[in-house]
Amino acid sequence: MNIYQPLLTTVTELVDETPDTRTLRLEFQDEAQRESFSFRAGQFGEYSVFGAGESTFCIASPPTREGYIECSFKAVGKVTSALREVNRGDTVGFRGPYGNWFPVDDWKGKDVVFVAGGIGLAPVRCVIWNVLDRRDEFGDVTIVYGARSVEDLVYKRELEEWSSRSDVTMVSTVDPGGETSDWSGEVGYVTPVVEKTAPKAGNAVAVLCGPPIVVKLTLPVLEKLGFADDAIFTTLENRMKCGLGKCGRCNIGPVYVCKDGPVFTAAQMKELPPEF
Amino acid sequence: MTDGTDTTSAARGTAASSGPPERYFLSEADLRSLVGDLLGAGTEVIAPLATDVCQSPSAVAASACTLPGAAAVDIDYRPLAGADELDLSRGLPQLSLKEHFLPEHEALCRWKQKGTTVEVEDVPVEFAPRVVLAAKPCDSAALAVVDQVMNWDYQDELWNGRRAATTIINLACPVIDESCFCTAVGTAPDDTKGADGLLTPVDGGYVLEVTTDKGRAFAAAHAARLSDDVPADTRGRQAADERAAARARVAANLEIDAASVRDWIGTHFEDPLLASIAIRCNGCGACTSVCPTCHCFDIIDEEEGVGRGTRRRCWDTCQAPTFTLHASGHNPRDDQNVRYRQRINHKYSIYPLKFGEVLCTGCGRCTRVCHAGQDIVEILQAIDIAARRPGEAAAEPAPDAPEPVTS
Repeated sequence: MNIYQPLLTTVTELVDETPDTRTLRLEFQDEAQRESFSFRAGQFGEYSVFGAGESTFCIASPPTREGYIECSFKAVGKVTSALREVNRGDTVGFRGPYGNWFPVDDWKGKDVVFVAGGIGLAPVRCVIWNVLDRRDEFGDVTIVYGARSVEDLVYKRELEEWSSRSDVTMVSTVDPGGETSDWSGEVGYVTPVVEKTAPKAGNAVAVLCGPPIVVKLTLPVLEKLGFADDAIFTTLENRMKCGLGKCGRCNIGPVYVCKDGPVFTAAQMKELPPEF
Repeated sequence: MTDGTDTTSAARGTAASSGPPERYFLSEADLRSLVGDLLGAGTEVIAPLATDVCQSPSAVAASACTLPGAAAVDIDYRPLAGADELDLSRGLPQLSLKEHFLPEHEALCRWKQKGTTVEVEDVPVEFAPRVVLAAKPCDSAALAVVDQVMNWDYQDELWNGRRAATTIINLACPVIDESCFCTAVGTAPDDTKGADGLLTPVDGGYVLEVTTDKGRAFAAAHAARLSDDVPADTRGRQAADERAAARARVAANLEIDAASVRDWIGTHFEDPLLASIAIRCNGCGACTSVCPTCHCFDIIDEEEGVGRGTRRRCWDTCQAPTFTLHASGHNPRDDQNVRYRQRINHKYSIYPLKFGEVLCTGCGRCTRVCHAGQDIVEILQAIDIAARRPGEAAAEPAPDAPEPVTS
């Protein structure tokens, strides 16, 4: 079996997060693979519909929930449109896990601040659950999540669950004009809401993921709040094909995002050419 | 993940040789007999082969053949049908040896789907032994360079399988033109990097030097065709003289300090010199196809009837806008200037820093094929000048390149 050959999984659950975003739960068909598969928060994979091709997403479920993996995607291209068509019981190919991970074990005893925009919550969700499943190892947990509109918020049930927990500070926001009459969260872009929420930076790390513009604008705000460059983690989403550091597509400056990343600190990002 | 450092050189079959290279002499007739022996034993022999394109059924070729004075000969690395096809006088093949190790497209796996069930069939990663004769040293060296990216951490068994199955005997390069610059990027017209041996033309035949275990096994297997009275005789001296002369001819084309070039590119990402070089590029990507070291690929599914098909990889090019286009529509390299800069950066700075090798062996194909007139010798010269005089770098555009666009 060569390194490009996918493992086979069965779709066991599907959830429509928004009108255009779906989450699939996948279980490995081979029992030995199901037993032995493990990954770290932040790693990704190549998901395929046979006949349509492969597409790259993070593993959106946490490593602390074993026996399955989940991915969330928007139907925008050939493969994601085909993935959108699969049903429970269908077969989906998977290669992975690939890339590095968020150093969650190094954060023991620290406050953790999560900032995500839009579908950027998918990789962050993996880390959030990873931290919440080991809740007593960490300090304060703050989540700031924003989307264009209430309709575009992903993982709505989980947002409610996090909001209702006394050990999580959950702030949801939608862009101006994206609110509904019964919306009780913030109205405004993610960046100013982070500034307003002002999580303490003293003994904290921040995990940031979202559209390039959200990452670009929020980094200086986190710095202003006192987060050091090496305490801010993000995951880059450069286009990839192989995931194995061969095909050349995700190369920027001295890194192959698929192997040297996708997780980088703000300090590492500043060393890279602005090609993400 | 696996640690690729232990088995890599064994998989490639290019393990460092122990002891001095062995040398033999073989006549032109011996060489043909040797090829005949190989073919007779069913071994594939790949060599630069001239094809008369006017004999091909291609309409494009046929119309080209009606032009007065049109060259009707394509040179490519092709399997020989008979020993009489071998012609060592040929120049640089149009496509490099790359296509025999990373084919233009190749199967990664095959699938059959019935209802919700999918069966995936593996493709073989072991290949029948074969011999490449008269490879250009720039082409074999490129394989050794690409070995690095194919084996850091994950090992590409398809690449490694073909490398392990292939014995490569170079031909000391007989055809050097103004686009050649192998000596400027760490190789030479008589190099055996990436190969197992070298043929050097001398009066009456060739000196064969074998430099690896695979090369020595090749010589042992064909001992009947080789004579070993080489080192002290005039032929040995003639071979050495020819090779030194060829090196000097290439070195006259370009001399750069590759380390300075590497460091300058790495620290001058936004330098107007790079933009001024890039602006002439039309983004056709021909340079990446003919390049012996360009290895970027796409992975696609090809349906072959209902419910079955093949997942393939095929050559791709960093010069295409779709190469880095995100699903969201965002494109980190959204114009040709930055795509051309990436190609230069990857070859002469990123790859050397990451893998210790320049991702270029100086074959000059990118210059010869470029219809926009990009000349990599001129470009490297301009960067080398900038790197030697950093203060003046920004003010000095590439030779006869347009002014940089600043808008």
